[in-house]
Amino acid sequence: MATPMRPAGFLVGRLTRKAVAAPVPAERGGATALLKAWLPAIVILALLLALPGIVPSYIQSLVTKMMIFALFGVSMNILWGYGGIPTFGHAAYFGFGGYVCGILIIQAGISNFWVNLLLVIVFTALLGAGLGIPAFRVYGVGASDNPIYFLLVTLAFGELLVRVAISARALTGGSTGLAGIPYPDLGIPGITINSHSFYFLVLGILTVCLILVYRLVNSHYGYALRGIHDNERRMQALGYNTWLYKYTSYIIAGAFGGVAGCLFAYFGGVMVPGNMGMAMTDIVFLIVILGSASVYFGPVIGAVAVVGIEYLASVYVPDRWPLIMGTIIVIAIMVIPKGVGVLLLDLWRRVFRGSAA
Amino acid sequence: MSTFIITTLNGVSYAFILFLLAAGFSLTFGVMGVLNLAHGALFVLGAYFGLAVVSQLDTLWLGIVVAAAGTGLVGLGIYYFFLRHLYGKIPEQAVLTIGLGYAFANIILWVWGPFAKMGMTPSAFTGVVRVGTLAFPIYRLVIIGIGLLVLVVLWWMQDRTRVGAIIRAGMDNKEMTRSLGINYGVVSTLVFLFGAALAGFAGIMGTPILGAYPSMGDGLLLLTLMVVVVGGTGFIQGTMLGALVIGLLDTFGKTYVPSVALFTSYAIFVAVLLVRPSGLIGRKVF
Amino acid sequence: MAALLEVSGLSVHFGGLAAVKDVSFTIEEGERLGMIGPNGAGKTTLFNLLTGQLKPSGGHVVFKGQDITHKPVYVRTQLGIARSFQITSLFPNETVLTSALIALQGTRGGRYRVWGVFTRDKGLRAAAQELLESIDLWHKRHEVVSSLAYGEQRKLEMGFGLASGPELLLLDEPSCGLTPSESADITERIRALGKKITVLMIAHDMDLVFGVAERIILLHFGEISCEGTCDEIRANQTVKDIYMGSHKASTAGG
Repeated sequence: MATPMRPAGFLVGRLTRKAVAAPVPAERGGATALLKAWLPAIVILALLLALPGIVPSYIQSLVTKMMIFALFGVSMNILWGYGGIPTFGHAAYFGFGGYVCGILIIQAGISNFWVNLLLVIVFTALLGAGLGIPAFRVYGVGASDNPIYFLLVTLAFGELLVRVAISARALTGGSTGLAGIPYPDLGIPGITINSHSFYFLVLGILTVCLILVYRLVNSHYGYALRGIHDNERRMQALGYNTWLYKYTSYIIAGAFGGVAGCLFAYFGGVMVPGNMGMAMTDIVFLIVILGSASVYFGPVIGAVAVVGIEYLASVYVPDRWPLIMGTIIVIAIMVIPKGVGVLLLDLWRRVFRGSAA
Repeated sequence: MSTFIITTLNGVSYAFILFLLAAGFSLTFGVMGVLNLAHGALFVLGAYFGLAVVSQLDTLWLGIVVAAAGTGLVGLGIYYFFLRHLYGKIPEQAVLTIGLGYAFANIILWVWGPFAKMGMTPSAFTGVVRVGTLAFPIYRLVIIGIGLLVLVVLWWMQDRTRVGAIIRAGMDNKEMTRSLGINYGVVSTLVFLFGAALAGFAGIMGTPILGAYPSMGDGLLLLTLMVVVVGGTGFIQGTMLGALVIGLLDTFGKTYVPSVALFTSYAIFVAVLLVRPSGLIGRKVF
Repeated sequence: MAALLEVSGLSVHFGGLAAVKDVSFTIEEGERLGMIGPNGAGKTTLFNLLTGQLKPSGGHVVFKGQDITHKPVYVRTQLGIARSFQITSLFPNETVLTSALIALQGTRGGRYRVWGVFTRDKGLRAAAQELLESIDLWHKRHEVVSSLAYGEQRKLEMGFGLASGPELLLLDEPSCGLTPSESADITERIRALGKKITVLMIAHDMDLVFGVAERIILLHFGEISCEGTCDEIRANQTVKDIYMGSHKASTAGG
């Protein structure tokens, strides 16, 4: 039997709690196998590029939102699905990124998108570096109980930031928040961003970020993180400084979350303190769980589902969205705890590989 | 000097409201290891249930009973239908109960509307106590009294009763308690019900001071978490200490240095995390 | 010549109970030291103190001339101490090959690399092949660890200990739960390690101990009771009283 090797495909993810199926042999016809694995991603990308020509603009806008939340979800899944780090304050980085973006434009007059983005990444990373130190103080090793404290502390940090945003009125606009954030200025003469072209900007950034995260989780660093998820005590005994991995992944995940938040600020034009709080964290958690934390592409699927349902709710039963969200969360956790992504991956394997997972 | 005394009394009465709020959470989380992040929402539910009775029937006592019983029942439902099946899966418990919390808040919004309700101080307890030039609201003293009573009862239950011993034993070794013939499932359910009822009780009792509005839950949950982290879990004394620290710091901060008032309690929260992660009086976990 | 490992006055207390009390011994380079003792004598606790999973309340641990008493676990591994656990501690959701790759990477440079595909690292794959072939698990490399038989998992557990390229290897009950033929196999593998790796081994299986160790320490109630060569220990009456008597009870219990 030819020795099989796992191809670096976009949709072949790592199933956190289940064995991975025998992968496609890659030693024969390396190039075709690679293409086969990347095909779905290429197809989806092509579809997304063609989308604006096909659907009305409000759908295009909706898909933009889906992409932003897909990035948000993927960023959190670095910690949740790969690192096994149960952070409950990830929205803090999302909202913080958005606020930094808005403040830079409105208060500091920095309108260049690229400068803005860079500063968002820097400031969000700094926030992560700062909050990470006390947060990981309450993260025990090995004992199954201890992540509770980390969960609660990160949750509290998120809510704390909400309160800070409410009280720092001069900077953040207080409880009404920041408004009037314009579309980004790319600083390229001749190109102005409007709702239509913003879609492509978001698509581009999402693609780049997804590739970066994908490379991260498949790198030496990424596998070390997975090892820590599986058995941190063992990893320490093997010579890994596990704290450093967890801490840096927290910062990295926060930075990607901040990028998503920055795009969100441009998208809606408004940032409110609640964007950093529990409600937003719960939304992204629903995105990750519904889509499957154990599959790379999971949060993307989750984002499509959650943003889609939110839109439908806003059309048919406005004001009842939190209730619907709560119900979906309950159903997701009680009925499909592994998420939809796993089911889809299974389906994918059956259809295209002719084998069951 | 008089400001200091008033501030201290205000701080202490606020601390006792925090204690009543956090005690239920401390019970279910610290004692049972079950995470119920809908706790803040239960507090608000209790406030609304109670106020509904008070406004219809004009009797506070029945309002209190209904508040506690109502939230107790809701808590029972949460435990029986959901949390019971998620034993040990902490993040799932967290996400689910947060979701429930938002659902409840939205239901409250739906049923009772967005406007804040003022709590009604029972006529027996309106007015002030005068000591020299100082006037202190009677109701705040009542809160302190009731808080002390609850503290004593819970402390006694924790240390001296069979139930307390069973729960503590079960915390450490569930299998063992089961094999000793104790129906841990029933005990867990009852503890959770009690914790939820306590939240509702705190809710209605707190309305004269805090009021009630649908989105209160988040801030209350944050306060609960801070109290529990600062004070430590596993012991009701820890919750009381945490409540005192947070309550006093917050009140003194607001009175003397209002510009940084918000940060006094947050600062102590982060400080405790850095220096004594297990809390001031907690089971040593870290 | 200084000993590879010097332990002096090592103690640890849990509440009022001294789990390890004033333990002192040395291990020379290339030596094979066996540690025996009844259940609860503190052997694994002592291991935890040596590897850093537990912090002592008193005493010192000196490795290659360096005081490592309070150093974190991973630092000690980087210095050259590795361990296998009594309760198998692997990566249940990874394949055998990936597990080996992760295990080997721990003490190699490049473990923070965020570029490149980990599973295609040629140097690591070669090392993994060598390691897995040496413990006869190469043919199972694509199996998920949780689906391996217990005996195979124990072999991988020992493999993990070797993966860090240690100078001192601490084996905690390597033959725990193994069949007699599997135990004999493990015994041979440990003997085959040669003089490059110093071994400190906890074992209940006396065949394993006498087959591998040159010197034996008997731990009882957290203290060193006796110390000596195999023959000395075999002949020692105290040992027989303390250990062999309860040895029957412990093998009955499993």
